[in-house]
Amino acid sequence: MTTIDPGTVKKLVVACDAGMGSSAMLAGTLKKQLAKDGITVEHTAVAGIPADADIVLTHAGLLDRARGVAGSTPVVPFNLFLGDPAVTKVVNGLKSGQPFDV
Amino acid sequence: MSDINLAVLLARESIRLDEKAADKKAAIEACGRALVEAGVVEEAYVPAMLEREKSISTHIGEGVAIPHATLAGKEAVLRDGLCFLRFPEGVDWDGSTVTICIGIAAQGDGHVDVLAQLAQILMVPEQAAALRNAADPDTVLRMLTPSPANEGE
Repeated sequence: MTTIDPGTVKKLVVACDAGMGSSAMLAGTLKKQLAKDGITVEHTAVAGIPADADIVLTHAGLLDRARGVAGSTPVVPFNLFLGDPAVTKVVNGLKSGQPFDV
Repeated sequence: MSDINLAVLLARESIRLDEKAADKKAAIEACGRALVEAGVVEEAYVPAMLEREKSISTHIGEGVAIPHATLAGKEAVLRDGLCFLRFPEGVDWDGSTVTICIGIAAQGDGHVDVLAQLAQILMVPEQAAALRNAADPDTVLRMLTPSPANEGE
């Protein structure tokens, strides 16, 4: 369990195998949802998770690989590319401005 | 990113509404062929799409799958592009039924807004049904055109 302080989150990264399909779709959705919150949303391949990411979302099947690359950055797994509760929780948490656990 | 041109990403000839495929593999190969014919990818991209599907299913819900390659297949991408194939009889996708396959090939970010628009459609069951039942390619293009009102930046 990690606590996220939304005030420190500037960049959210959605990581996937190739960074071109499913992660791109989710990133596009989150970009819209978080546009007003001053958070940059990027999508990358797992191997290319940038060092300045503040929070990483990845498919549960890629969690270990993503954690290996992300180091101490919190990595949140999801199973559904559309409407996953874990993703909703992160978005709502970031928008709330209040610290939340992931 | 707001100046994406959907017609360039998704040519009308790459929207095929009456396809048939015996199984998931055949459906993905059909997407691969459509992308090759559109000049978006080289042949080598197609096996990389099959490989990608083995790791995590690209079925995203509402009868829609978005087959694309692994990172290894990215080298076979000539430009960002999509195809839209409908299989009216449905294709068994690990126990779920898929009727629409949107094949993706991308090096850049040109397609992200279109995918976000797709996600937005699929979150509303009535709209997802409308996309599945689109009468012609123009309807598909109209539905997938990113709505400027929701542009982030």
